[in-house]
Amino acid sequence: MSGTAVGPGTVSALQAALAAEHAAVYGYGVAGAYLDGPARTAATADWYAHQVARDTLEAMLRQAGAKPVAAAPAYQLPHKVNGPVSATALAVLLENRVTAAYLGVVAVSDPAVRQFGARAMAAAAGRAASWRGRTVAFPGFPPSAFS
Amino acid sequence: MADRTRRGVLAAAASLPLLAVSGCKGVGALAPPPRPGPDVRVLRAAIAAEEAMIARYGTAITRFPGLAKTLAGLRAEHRLHLAELRTRLVIPPGSPYRSGFTSPSPRPAGSPGAAAALPAGQAAALDFLQTAEDSAAAALLRGLPAVPPSLAQLLASVAASESTHVAVLRSAAG
Repeated sequence: MSGTAVGPGTVSALQAALAAEHAAVYGYGVAGAYLDGPARTAATADWYAHQVARDTLEAMLRQAGAKPVAAAPAYQLPHKVNGPVSATALAVLLENRVTAAYLGVVAVSDPAVRQFGARAMAAAAGRAASWRGRTVAFPGFPPSAFS
Repeated sequence: MADRTRRGVLAAAASLPLLAVSGCKGVGALAPPPRPGPDVRVLRAAIAAEEAMIARYGTAITRFPGLAKTLAGLRAEHRLHLAELRTRLVIPPGSPYRSGFTSPSPRPAGSPGAAAALPAGQAAALDFLQTAEDSAAAALLRGLPAVPPSLAQLLASVAASESTHVAVLRSAAG
């Protein structure tokens, strides 16, 4: 992605994805604390994956001449997390939100950024399916989108 | 959604030449319609790929009843993909470019007439399906630059779904 040919729509979509990644990094930190064994190992791997994605997005935005959106000091969790079940539900929700954010990246006009967004969607959808225990037909879209 | 609008535009654009000449020289005087654009070709390919996947799963479900539940779940998602992809494509009846195109009207997919070749053994079949899912997802990603944003989002979502199928199949293979 060149620093000169990036439109405001692309920057906006990347910023939204970055915000979702920041939230995921925070959220996995919470979820991981309530998980044990293989689930904790998976949460740690996913936490690292989101850190890598965050760093990638920040680099893309800087290259585009934009200032990457910063992480919030803290995030309001969507539900109380106090055990493995709620921690797993949080991981699913985080991945769903990240997938949806990258769906916005796929809509930009830059072909390379589209491809990047689509690959990131696939990665997040895979993690979501793993935590959820099942796949969905249209990752990134709300369940009601095509009903 | 924007796609409903897009469908309307496609249908309207297809009817414009007819309206312009009606009452003048008749349909026979029309120049051939423009060839389908790259987005239509990508969409057609995606539809054909979904039909092929549904047929493969149909064969696998029949051959490996022990995996039927898992495979039927994946096939159901492919059927949803196919149904949604079909809604994005409107080709006027009578268009010479309709030939070879699968009707967008709903019809049973993966029906007995659509049997697909699959390796004989269960392990080989599951491996084959993984490769097919991977290839289908990769083809969708290759088509992204050629399509409008809303279709790109649908194709990316379908590709992501197919990527998750690979993991399910790998798990089923043990």
